[in-house]
Amino acid sequence: MGILHTFWNSPIGPKTTHFWGPVVGWSIPIAALADSKKPPELISGNMTTVMCVYSALFMRFAYMVRPRNYHLLVCHVANESVQLYQLSRWARARGHSQKKDEDAGGA
Amino acid sequence: MAASKLQAFWNHPAGPKTIHFWAPTFKWGISIANVADFSKPPEKLSYPQQIAVACTGIVWSRYSTVIIPKNWNLFSVNIAMAGTGLYQLSRKIRHDYFSDEEVAVAQE
Repeated sequence: MGILHTFWNSPIGPKTTHFWGPVVGWSIPIAALADSKKPPELISGNMTTVMCVYSALFMRFAYMVRPRNYHLLVCHVANESVQLYQLSRWARARGHSQKKDEDAGGA
Repeated sequence: MAASKLQAFWNHPAGPKTIHFWAPTFKWGISIANVADFSKPPEKLSYPQQIAVACTGIVWSRYSTVIIPKNWNLFSVNIAMAGTGLYQLSRKIRHDYFSDEEVAVAQE
């Protein structure tokens, strides 16, 4: 009961925007997770690269902002992971398609 | 006078010596990437991603006026995110649901 009480009244708890901001922020890594099941040709290299740098910066931001926001921090750690994964899928697919073009051109 | 304004900016608690400046400044990259993707065909856009970008933009515009220090840079970048996200969504919805009649007519 105590932990629920602490959570409810926390400066980053559900009565504050510091809670709901990150809740909505989860939609970005969740969207990326959904997109990770789709073919890599649909991945935007621009957006995914930007997302990787963005979440790295915001992990630091979440730690330094007042009130300190561990919820936001975890959200960006998750996003960083899934975006790096998507970036690797995109890069690998690009490598394959470039190689195919070279093979076709060379043959 | 300009020098003291520059100094005020440089030393601001949300200024360029802090993450409070660079994180939101870099967030413009998301909107810029989205603008670059305006030229992508709507079939290649992602509903989950654009809905996420639009919604976070809207909620975070509010968030940025409540945190300490108050962050107008973050506020404006989230307005831009919401705008580009909603535009991309409108492109994809228009393509998926409102140009189908043209495709159907062409196939007949």
